[in-house]
Parts: sequence; C-alpha cells; structure tokens
Amino acid sequence: MSTESPEQIEKTAGDWLARRDAGGWASHEQEAFDAWMRESPAHRIAFWRLETVWDETARLSALGAGIRADKPPPPGAWNLSPFLNLTQADANRRKRPRANIRRALAAAVLLTMTAASAWYWWPAGKSYSTPVGAVTSLPMSDGSNVILNTDSEIKVSIGEKERRIELARGEAFFSVAKDPTRPFVVTVGDQRIVALGTAFSVRREPALQVIVTEGAVRIESAEILAPSTGTRNSVLTAGTIAQSARNEVHVRHADVSQAEEQLAWRAGRIIFRDIALAVAVAEFNRYNERKIVIEDPAAMALTIGGVVRTTNVDAFVKLLEDGYGLHAQVRPDKIILTTR
Amino acid sequence: MADELESWFKAEVFIHEGILMRFLARVWPRRDELVDLRQEIYVRVYESALKGRPQFPKAFLFSVARHVLTDRRRRERIVSIQSAGDNDFSNDLIEERTPERWVGARQVLARLASAFDRLPPKCREVIWLRRIQHLPQKEIAQRLGISEKTVEYHISTGGRLLALYVRSSESEGDEARDYRQAVETDIRKDEKGKDHL
Repeated sequence: MSTESPEQIEKTAGDWLARRDAGGWASHEQEAFDAWMRESPAHRIAFWRLETVWDETARLSALGAGIRADKPPPPGAWNLSPFLNLTQADANRRKRPRANIRRALAAAVLLTMTAASAWYWWPAGKSYSTPVGAVTSLPMSDGSNVILNTDSEIKVSIGEKERRIELARGEAFFSVAKDPTRPFVVTVGDQRIVALGTAFSVRREPALQVIVTEGAVRIESAEILAPSTGTRNSVLTAGTIAQSARNEVHVRHADVSQAEEQLAWRAGRIIFRDIALAVAVAEFNRYNERKIVIEDPAAMALTIGGVVRTTNVDAFVKLLEDGYGLHAQVRPDKIILTTR
Repeated sequence: MADELESWFKAEVFIHEGILMRFLARVWPRRDELVDLRQEIYVRVYESALKGRPQFPKAFLFSVARHVLTDRRRRERIVSIQSAGDNDFSNDLIEERTPERWVGARQVLARLASAFDRLPPKCREVIWLRRIQHLPQKEIAQRLGISEKTVEYHISTGGRLLALYVRSSESEGDEARDYRQAVETDIRKDEKGKDHL
C-alpha cells in the first residue's frame, strides 16, 4: 500500500471513523475495517490519530449544558458555557473592585427571625407552593405576577388597603402592578419588603436576600434588640442585591444585568460565576431531590463557573467529572463527589 | 500488547503533534510534504515501539524526526541553508512538563472548543448535534434535511479537521499556518464535488 498518499489514508481513516459512528455497524464491516487496519502501520496510526481527538470531543458535551439543543452557538460565543466561563470569571474578579460590596447599610436592617412580632401580624391568605425542581408563574388578581422558585411557598392576601404576600419558604420573583392606593408588601418573618412600583425577588433561605431589577423596594424591619429606635428602613434601588449575614445586611450595588443573572432560575437555569463548588452544589441541590454530596474538602474549594440547567442532575455531574476531574458515585438517593 | 501500544501511542505520541508540526514547518521548505513526513515519523516511532517503548517519548519522537529529515535530504540531495541552524533539537529534547502534558481539563476543553469553532458551518452543526447533543447520525440527517451519507461525510471531514485544529492554533507562525492551510485545502478539495449534498 505504499502507493497510497498519506492524505488518502487519512481520508479513509476518517470515513471509517464516520461509518463506525453511524451505528448499525455490521460484522462484515468490522472485518473489513480490521483488515484495513492490519494492512499497514500507517493505516493504524492514521485511524488512532483521528480517534484520539474524536474521543476527546466527548468533553465538548459539557458545553451543551444550558444551551438549547438545535443550533450551536456562534463561534467564540462560549462565554455562557461552563469552564470557559471560568477564565472570564477570573478576569472579572481581577477587574471588580472589592469596594463594590459595601456594608454601608449593614446595620440599617436587623434580621431577627426569632420574635413573632404582632406588629406585622396579618391573617394568612391563600397559599401556593411548588415542589422541588418546579418553577411556577402565578398571576395575581391585581395584575401583578409572582414566579415561585423550587420548593417554595407563599400566602397571598390581596386586601383593599394592602396587597400582602408572605414568603413562607423558598424564593419568589415579583412583578408588581402599580397601584398607589394599595402598597405591595412581601413579608419574611418580621421583615417587610415594600414595593415602590417594581420588579424584585425575595429569597428566604439560608438568609434573606432581596434582588431588585426594576424600580425600588423598601425593607422595613422591627428593631427587636433596641425597641426604642423603632423601625429601621432602607431603600434598595434597581441593580441592588441585598443579603443578610448574621445581624447585618450586605448591600451590593451591581448593574441590573448582574442582578438579572441571579434570577436565571426563572428560565430554569443557574448561572455560577467564580463560586466555590460547595456553594454551587448547595444551590443546585435546591432543585433536585437526589442531592449531590461532596465528601472531599479539596473538591469543595474548587471554583466553578458556568450555566447549568437546574433540573438536569446528570448533565451537571457529568460536567463536573469531565471538566474538573471529579469522580461521581451515583447512588439511588444521592451522588457522592470525590477527587480522583 | 497491541492494545497497549495503541494506548501508548494515543497518550504519549500524538500529544506532541503540535510542536512537531511547527518544527517541521520551520525546517522543511515544502509544505505539501509535511503530512508525508509526519506519517513517516509516526510509522518509524511505531515500529521502534514494537520492540520496546522509549523512556522519553517526546525526545524519541524528535530524534526520529531528525533521522527522517536527514534521510530525505540525503536522498534528495537537498542542502538547506535555512535548516542548518534550525535543526538543533536540543531545546526540544528536554522531557519536561510540557504544556501538552500539564494543561488541565479546563484548558483541554477550551482548546477543543476553539478547534470546534473553526469548523466550516455545516460541518460544525453536524458535529454539534452528534458530539454535544448526542443525536444519532440518522436523526441528524432527518433534522437537517440531508442524506445520511452527507452526515457521514461531515463527520469524516470534521474528525480530520478537529484532529488538525486541536494540535495547532490560529495564531501560530507563518510556516505552520501554511501547512495547516495546505491540509485544509486538501481536506475540503472533494467538498467542491459535493455541492449538491
């Protein structure tokens, strides 16, 4: 076969690769292929060379997570994809000044869920809830809309003087219909989040978080520890991400697109930027009954980034295996991750 | 034994193809012979590895390359002034933790993604559906309204282009780029005859 050009050999090797990949590979084809492979080392090498890279492209399926199936994204548009995004996240981290996360209003709101303050007591209204993994959109009678995230519950009472929603569990996003005569109030424990014509989300666990994407909200809180000072209020404007930590609220003024990113769950996705695997997994576990458990401290500290579908456990686990060299033991009730 | 040789070749030899081809492109004046050179080098490494694996595969690969080049020059009576100084492999002989070896999974993925991005649009779409969305070839044909034969053709071409692109980058030197373009032209040559596909 010395008359064959290497280009010709490569072409034949490519055709074998494609033929075998087509499925329905019959035994006579296997024989023909074996015979071709036996003919010369050049054949074997040409085929192995293509096969090596072809097998490696299996890793590309990690890029498919969070991307709609039909069409590939345009070249270079992988910034939303897992891993590659990491370098992006790394770059962002270097650029973003730490000062952005301010504690200016840290003491403004005290989050104490302990006291059952009669001050905000209100008869509970109609209750709505979602199971783990579900996201539900609920139109309200006043024209407002609520999107309930996974494993969440709200109690709604639309009254004549106030529209009130109690977030009993989980997370919800509110698009509020304007009505100056009836304030729109979300309560979490003894916190009141008052909408000022607006779109915002409220999350209850593990700590109160308010994200404002449009307009503004006011957080009101009963000062339990020092009753003499009464209520403490703070106004959060669009792009604000407010999060409680112990007795403080950390307010971060991001731009609206960053705030929106935190709300990707509305479209069934989570966007991780530059986040510890332990945190990412905890977040992901909210959406799935079969929980992922990390048993390896080294793995917990891995930083990850990317977009994942909230309910596709297998894709997320595969992505961690392929991209981060983690090993997954799949059990019926949970998935255990270790470093290899 | 044969399987073991195969995995050795896949893991220890092909990974140096990028640097090997850049080197060959630098010292060998005729681009259209580079693929032929590569084949000859690989075959010689293969035959030698049948008898025993070299301890330092990369150094061995380059020493074989040097012999192949010397033989060719002798056979063809080529005296290349350009290659006189460049033929010094000493830097390449160090069996260090080369980039080929230490790149983590993330960089491998980045490299694969950029190789994937360089595929021609139709081919890229087929590979996307096959490798990322895991659709069978048959279903890809139905979805894209093309024949199964055409899907197979795109897989074959895509497989060859990916093997080329993964080991070479767009931003490398002129010689290497010439080589890549020569191979691309060759791979896509028969595409012209398949316009009807």
